[in-house]
Amino acid sequence: MAYILHKFKAGYFDPEWTAGTGRTIMTGGMAVGSGSHLVGKRFPAYSFTVERGKIREFAAAIGDMKDIYLDPEKAARAGYRDVTVPPTFGTVINLWGGMGFLEMCEYLGIDRVKVLHGGQEYEYLGDIVAGDVITVTTTVSGYAEKKNMHVLTLECSYVNQNNEEVLRSRHIVLELK
Amino acid sequence: MREGLLLPDFDRINTGDEMPVLKKEPVNQIQLVKYAGASGDFNPLHYVDAVGKAAGQGGVIAHGMLIMGFMGQAVTDWIPNRCLKSFKVRFMKVTRPGDAITVSGRITGKKIVDGRGLISGEVAAADQHGQVKAAGTFEAWV
Repeated sequence: MAYILHKFKAGYFDPEWTAGTGRTIMTGGMAVGSGSHLVGKRFPAYSFTVERGKIREFAAAIGDMKDIYLDPEKAARAGYRDVTVPPTFGTVINLWGGMGFLEMCEYLGIDRVKVLHGGQEYEYLGDIVAGDVITVTTTVSGYAEKKNMHVLTLECSYVNQNNEEVLRSRHIVLELK
Repeated sequence: MREGLLLPDFDRINTGDEMPVLKKEPVNQIQLVKYAGASGDFNPLHYVDAVGKAAGQGGVIAHGMLIMGFMGQAVTDWIPNRCLKSFKVRFMKVTRPGDAITVSGRITGKKIVDGRGLISGEVAAADQHGQVKAAGTFEAWV
């Protein structure tokens, strides 16, 4: 793993790390082997309304300017109800709709300065288009202790306004020891 | 599948077929700021140089999800979004401003499931030196 975040000193970047949150974020992380109690923990559910402008902004940030993300008429011709989203848009729903990164670390009691994104998985079950209201439920589905890190798995289910599950995700969170 | 979608032809896809290579412009700090705002990932490691330096990285590093975004772009340049069944990525090395990411991939298998064609593939993002930053797999209905 090339992310050498363990060189951080906890608290050193508080002015930036807490910017916008208006509070102090805890540091310290898990004691060795203490993460298993998190398995089964459910985050509070939240909803996010998908907007054309947010899709455009996200597509532009990646540089993936497909017509189906930008042009409602062309999206309709491709069979979508409105412009649809890039395959990694679930992260927008998570971070703008629910907890931000810092809040998540605090909620899980993990040390934000030692946290890495180990991997991300998506399973696509239906369309997500502008105008949809997506409700997300998140569960801690796994915990493992490795030699030099704790590995937490968060699973999200994304359900639209018609009660259809349209997306599932798995987010691998690594906390270096 | 709906009309208007150009679908890959199951019969003409074979294991080992190469995905068209996607060459991205070098990642720059403006892109990282845009991605932070667009995605909502405001970890300052991605836009405050001092944080990246203290982390031993010499400066900011790219969001892993931006690289997965490039990989998703490459896959859906080739296979329509709606065909995608799954997409999984592991992050392996950091990407820094100036790194030019190239995404490549290939078909690793095909089968019929419930009367529908299902292809599977692998996809990787590497920099100008060939260092693999992230690698993963995808499945698509065709």
